[in-house]
Amino acid sequence: MSTILVVDDEPQIRRALRTALSAHGYATIEAGAGEAALDAAASRQPDLVVLDLGLPDIDGVEVIERLRGWSDVPVIVLSVRDDQAGKVKALDAGADDYLTKPFAMEELLARVRAALRRTERPGSAPATLRFGPLAVDLARRLVTDDGELVHLTPTEYDLLEALLTNPGKLLTHAWLLRRVWGPNYGDESHYLRVYVRQLRQKLRDDASSPVYILTEPGVGYRWLPDPDPDPLRT
Amino acid sequence: MDEPTTTAQPAPAGLGAHRGGALHWLRIVVLGLAAPGAATLIALVLPHAGIASAACLYLLAIAGAAVAAGPVAGMIAAIGGFLGLNYFFTPPEHTLKVRSADDAIALGVYLVVAALVGALVTRVTAERARAARREQEARSMHRVASAFLSPGPLERIVGDLAATLADVLSLERTEIRAVVSDRPITVRHPPPRPGEDGPHDDASRRFDLPLTTASGSYGTLIAYATPSRWPPTEEELGLARAVAGQIAAALELAELDERVSRARTEADASAARAALFSSVTHDLRTPLASIKASVTSLMDHEGRYDEVQRDELLGTILQEADRLNRLVGNILDLARMRAGALTPDRVQVDVEDVIGSVLARMRPSLKDRNVRTLLRPDLPAVALDPTQIDQVLTNVIENAVRFSPAGGTIVISASRWESFVEIRIADDGPGIPAEEREQVFQEFYRRDRGDGRGGTGLGLAIAKAIVQAHGGRIWAEGSPAGGALIALRLPVAAETADAETSTARR
Repeated sequence: MSTILVVDDEPQIRRALRTALSAHGYATIEAGAGEAALDAAASRQPDLVVLDLGLPDIDGVEVIERLRGWSDVPVIVLSVRDDQAGKVKALDAGADDYLTKPFAMEELLARVRAALRRTERPGSAPATLRFGPLAVDLARRLVTDDGELVHLTPTEYDLLEALLTNPGKLLTHAWLLRRVWGPNYGDESHYLRVYVRQLRQKLRDDASSPVYILTEPGVGYRWLPDPDPDPLRT
Repeated sequence: MDEPTTTAQPAPAGLGAHRGGALHWLRIVVLGLAAPGAATLIALVLPHAGIASAACLYLLAIAGAAVAAGPVAGMIAAIGGFLGLNYFFTPPEHTLKVRSADDAIALGVYLVVAALVGALVTRVTAERARAARREQEARSMHRVASAFLSPGPLERIVGDLAATLADVLSLERTEIRAVVSDRPITVRHPPPRPGEDGPHDDASRRFDLPLTTASGSYGTLIAYATPSRWPPTEEELGLARAVAGQIAAALELAELDERVSRARTEADASAARAALFSSVTHDLRTPLASIKASVTSLMDHEGRYDEVQRDELLGTILQEADRLNRLVGNILDLARMRAGALTPDRVQVDVEDVIGSVLARMRPSLKDRNVRTLLRPDLPAVALDPTQIDQVLTNVIENAVRFSPAGGTIVISASRWESFVEIRIADDGPGIPAEEREQVFQEFYRRDRGDGRGGTGLGLAIAKAIVQAHGGRIWAEGSPAGGALIALRLPVAAETADAETSTARR
């Protein structure tokens, strides 16, 4: 059973989250402030943290930064603020995902599942990931769509790999640029626009109703589908 | 005839009578003596000139002196004439003695006639001068009145009044310094020329008049007279005071106008606040009422509701909570808009990405609609605030959903148009009547949907404010399918947008 640390200063939100999460088979720990949350994260070692940004003692972004000093536990941020600058700040500090309040519980549960799956994945990833007609052979860096080989440039492939190995996670421009282009990059979001557009074209994905790559305008990108279950492992 | 040589100028002579100065008196004395002198010479030169013709010439000289230089000159001329007549023309000649009783009578008659002529001429001259002055005064008061009545900015009216006064009194310069509604006003006539470092006035010819009405004081009228018109006569001062009164009245009127319009603006603002308040109260309470009713129903544990009814109640709660959330968002945006805090935080974004993310988020409310997107492949990246434009598209698409039938089609298209990107959202609902297409963008303007489920009346107003903050434009049309079409045009580059916005502001 996975344990989730719920951090929010509003008891009503904590109660709603506790009820819903425990009904879906998760154990919950609660904290009403930042320092208490950091203590609980250290002593109870939760599998995931749901964190409200507006805390009475320290700012939620600072909680993420301090937590990231010693833990890789996935963090899903909840906030009433929905400006892209606030999202980017929290995500760049190390949050895995961001949900704007008010949110639908099913949406939060989907994000929780996706985040936990990413950490539960065994050390050796399957050699080939499948997303419906799309198959990506990670070892040989080959992409096929309906059995047809998709020709990708090395950069396009690196970008695709960065995206699909983090399914459901909101990846910021800065993170993707550093991961694909190198540590000296971070502000060149127009590179991403160009390459994401090319990738979408080659994968026959439509920006206005995407199946694979969803743009969070001004923030980053999210690989939408979870990989199909690996027939060899299940 | 030939005497006196100066042509009579009644008005200046009349006004001149009131002025001091040695030159002036010298002129009276000289004319008073010269006129009988000239008459004497003529009478001596003329052959056979007797006492009668000499007396006539002297009378003429008296009349001339009185017309040219006033009653004093006439008197001097009369005395000069009397002496001249006595000395040169009554025997014994070249003495001031009179021999015959006849001559004494003639001299006496002459003196009486001379006095009468002098007085008569003086009176006629003075009458003429007064009439001319009256006419001029009347004319200038008419000009003052018409300047006062002409509509226009206060400075122009006051300037016209000052110019009229300066004209009538031949003033070198006038200046009005006043304060109306805490706003200082300075009007100069003639207006200061650019580059001129202030007029150099002779302060010794300055006179100040207060600008006061029964209800208050507004400032001062400062006038600088020309040297020839200094000091001003009582009439001139009276005229100046009258004009100052008119100026003060104009200033007072302007202040009252200002007060009235201020009061009206305040009343309007408070009416708008009241409307906002009652609208917001209603809109916040309505969804809360539905939520509370549904929840209290569900908490009724006696199992009165079956599965379908429970789902219905839960659906209501969700729907109304969403509505409440949208309303709060719109009210916050409205507050931001009114505080002038709608500054877009621009980043380069692809339009199809913004549309895609809006549609992905709105998927639940779009499940009963066919959504078609027609996006041109050559769409450029646009410098915009993604959160704000997301809000614009959400509000517009929500409207399309609200006013179109279940199973209807919503078409979203985007294309490039010169340095703009144009996004069009069309539905196949009843459409917006042409006369309402401007109004739908006003705050709290609601289209009646017929079932009382209109919007908050804020969505399109906020969309418009955001689009304008981006330097763009939003408007309503009829869609080809007969429904409503909302089009918005956003500048591709932020620089163009900012340039346009600043132009619009100017």
